[in-house]
Amino acid sequence: MKAAHKSGAVEFTDGEASAAAIDEMLGAAHARLVHDLAIVRRPPARVGVVESRLGPLLAAESPRGLLALSFLDHSDGGATIAAIRQLFDPVEDRAVAVRVGAEIDRLLDGDASAVAGRAVDFSLVPSPFRRRAFQRLRTVPAGAVVTYRALAAAIGAPSGQRAIGNTMATNPVAIYVPCHRVIRSDGSVGNYGGGVDRKLMLLRSEGFKVDRGNRVPAGAVYGHWLSHIFCRPDCSAVRRAERRQWIIFGDADHARHAGMRACKLCRPA
Amino acid sequence: MAEPITIELPPPFEDAVALHEREIMRFLVRTTRDREDALDLFQETWLRAYRAYPKLDSAAGLRPWLFRIATNLCLNRARGRMRRARVFADEQPDIGRWSASANGDHTAVLELKSAIAGLPDKQRQALVMRKFGGLEYDAIAAALDCSPESARAGVYQALKKLKAVTER
Repeated sequence: MKAAHKSGAVEFTDGEASAAAIDEMLGAAHARLVHDLAIVRRPPARVGVVESRLGPLLAAESPRGLLALSFLDHSDGGATIAAIRQLFDPVEDRAVAVRVGAEIDRLLDGDASAVAGRAVDFSLVPSPFRRRAFQRLRTVPAGAVVTYRALAAAIGAPSGQRAIGNTMATNPVAIYVPCHRVIRSDGSVGNYGGGVDRKLMLLRSEGFKVDRGNRVPAGAVYGHWLSHIFCRPDCSAVRRAERRQWIIFGDADHARHAGMRACKLCRPA
Repeated sequence: MAEPITIELPPPFEDAVALHEREIMRFLVRTTRDREDALDLFQETWLRAYRAYPKLDSAAGLRPWLFRIATNLCLNRARGRMRRARVFADEQPDIGRWSASANGDHTAVLELKSAIAGLPDKQRQALVMRKFGGLEYDAIAAALDCSPESARAGVYQALKKLKAVTER
């Protein structure tokens, strides 16, 4: 039995269209479906599990950059995948996991350039405030930290430290968006979505040596974001300048490494 | 040694298409009994399915979900036809143009059409899907969001009313 093309009707045998007729119709439908699907297609997101020294991580990368990186033992991987699916078509790709794993290893060995240089896709961050916070945070170099308060002030919300706290808790791309470099204004390191031990491990390997009480060390210096000058914490310039401009380096060497010069008033070591 | 951690990704949409396209097409052909309509609804079914695919959270639910989409589209098509039929029924003088049956039957056909159009929504839809669409009661129940028994009862009630009209 063949489908009668001209009349538009389909012939049936015992109320069932013949297999040949169905085959022919599927053939006719395919090219059209492929064409239309290509128009509405969501971009691909390549997903893999990274076995890093920091534990297992779920990594996802879109064509625009790294989309998600989360600690699988501290977060629900299924929820992350569900969020990615809303905007992307996830496909498994081990190569992404291998690349990200290698970059994290380099970071833990003291070379932050690979992590800092990779593009990040903030598609999973719907709020413009949070995007601003994450983008500003990416400019804090390895070996330095900011306080929740200073980061809030830096993106135009001088009393938004709580909002920054909540924002950091929703960071979709851990490590690459360095939310481990955000500490409390009282000098203690504060919490971390992947556990405080990991925060300390990351900070130490970046060269920010917290002291025994997990606080900012005694030799820390304050770097000024705009003028690229760093000072002792008790320098009169620190008291005068706006709070939002300060980032904290564990020691003077890291401040110099980040391209800053020493203050001529307080002469930090 | 720790177990290697794996994540579960939903199957790619292409797999779903390859797996179910044949039965969807067969379903649409049987329901519409029209080649072009079946091809259109086939296209529409898969595009809708792709758009809503992120909302589907279990692979096991894929098949009934696809059939639900296809059934809804068939139902929309049947509704559109019903609406057109009603417009024709209102234009009594034009009836000769579209009905080739003998003159004596015109009033009977007209009465039947307006009787169908006058049925309560659910009964009319169930009747159309069953008698004109050829759907199973299970499929009708899924499309109308009711139990199969209720779908069967709807068709029965509709037939009873139509019978009363034609025998009058």
